[in-house]
Amino acid sequence: MIRFEQVSKTYRGGHQALSHVDFHVQPGEMAFLTGHSGAGKSTLLKLISLMERPTAGRVLINGHDLRKIKPAQVPYVRRDIGMIFQDHRLLMDKTIFDNVALPLIIEGYSVQEARKRVVAALEKVGIADKAKHYPYMLSGGEQQRVGIARAIVTKPPLLLADEPTGNLDPKLSMEIIRLFEEFNKVGVAVLIATHDLGLIARLRYRTLTLKDGRMINDGLEDGEL
Amino acid sequence: MSLLFRNRSIEKGASSRGRLPWWRRLIMVPVHHAQQAIASLGELWRNPFASFMTMAVLGLSLTLPSSLYVLVKNTSTIADNWQQASEVTLFLRKDLQQSEIDTLKTQTELSEGVKSVTLIPKEQGLKEFKTQSGFGETLDYLSSNPLPDVLVVIPAESHRSPQRAEELLNRLEKQREVAYAKMDLDWLNRLQGILNLIEDILGALAVVLCLSVVLIVGNTIRLNILSKRDEIMVMKLVGATNAFIQRPFLYTGVWYGIIGGLVAFLATALLIWWVESAVVELTELYETPFQLNGLTLGELLIVWLVAVGLGLAGSYLAVRRHIQSIEPE
Repeated sequence: MIRFEQVSKTYRGGHQALSHVDFHVQPGEMAFLTGHSGAGKSTLLKLISLMERPTAGRVLINGHDLRKIKPAQVPYVRRDIGMIFQDHRLLMDKTIFDNVALPLIIEGYSVQEARKRVVAALEKVGIADKAKHYPYMLSGGEQQRVGIARAIVTKPPLLLADEPTGNLDPKLSMEIIRLFEEFNKVGVAVLIATHDLGLIARLRYRTLTLKDGRMINDGLEDGEL
Repeated sequence: MSLLFRNRSIEKGASSRGRLPWWRRLIMVPVHHAQQAIASLGELWRNPFASFMTMAVLGLSLTLPSSLYVLVKNTSTIADNWQQASEVTLFLRKDLQQSEIDTLKTQTELSEGVKSVTLIPKEQGLKEFKTQSGFGETLDYLSSNPLPDVLVVIPAESHRSPQRAEELLNRLEKQREVAYAKMDLDWLNRLQGILNLIEDILGALAVVLCLSVVLIVGNTIRLNILSKRDEIMVMKLVGATNAFIQRPFLYTGVWYGIIGGLVAFLATALLIWWVESAVVELTELYETPFQLNGLTLGELLIVWLVAVGLGLAGSYLAVRRHIQSIEPE
């Protein structure tokens, strides 16, 4: 599903965020990406969502080399990836319903056609009653759920989450992770970047570890790759 | 369109994901446009002061050229009226026989660009001169009639412009029987010159004002875009194309144009109403009935289209530069 081949990323100014990263996440797999702050977790996710381009090496999604994606095609790639952010990235002057409907509207759905899917997505994350609220009326955990609902409303085959539990207490964090597990159960590949090692320890999922831009552990036993 | 997952709808776990049929998408295009147009209008209401300032600038900028245009149009009408009265006067040599005069009259009548020819014999000329000049009986003391016979030539419709009339004059003057020909062309030329000058100034002014309108609208839209930077980033993150993000801003420009055009129309109408009474008073002094013509419906439509065009151009300029440069980080 996601394959990195000798990927390096050097930012302008010389900071090397990633160097020679190799890994492969299978379709339908759920994995954690961990490492201390500045280890390159966010950069790695940005390379997948085409917010950044690698300096060397190549990134493949479902066998497609992202180097061949032209700038005009980037939006269409992003429609196949559900993205979840630590700071939620919601539209503050739009209702929860409008926020979650946004990806569908962008794809050309009418509001009426989107309604059913939006309601289903909100139900799945457990905030169906908040559809008419605005983001600032919601708690952090609820806002994160809105972000997740927006990411899954188009039923993408791949979910990326950047510190989805960053601002949440352990109980809420676990609830969020359980949500991801549910999506994973229906075949969605999930990659979660987090530095919450306690959370990871309680779960038995593959864990990719970055340190200073290098993949020091890709979470697989030797010989399994 | 899924680039990475060609068979995304049959992917495991995503089987319930239905694509919209193409005809539904096609139908949705105008619906979306209408929705976004209305949404943009709503957006304007949220910030009515700034929006109205821009619309007012757009409208008032168009008011000046359109008022000047009304001025030129009306002056042209007056000038046309005067030109229609223009006539070429041929003063004939004094040694001509009556038969020669008649022949010349017929000849002139038949020549190109002549509508009609009137002969004013010298006796009649003297009589008219007596009554109009006020010299009266004094002229009786003249031993002979000093006036020549005169042919008054009214040019045909096609030969009434100053240039063509002058050509006609020169042609008629070359005839042997004509002592000299006269037409008060100078003032006509001057008037035409002034009109041309005003038209040129009008054109230049209109271009400058239109340019400034484009820049002002562009700047307003640019500020709009920058204030929605975060929103644009989020939209890009969830897969919105530049075209999708641009549309509401372009519609905002169109609305600026629509309402700005209305402002221009109202301001021009007000201006014309303001000067109309003065103009009527002035023309009464000249004893010529005159009706000040405002903008016709067609011209109004043109002003409106120009306003919308300018609004769209301004927003397009801003959108092109700035939407692309905002990338999620």
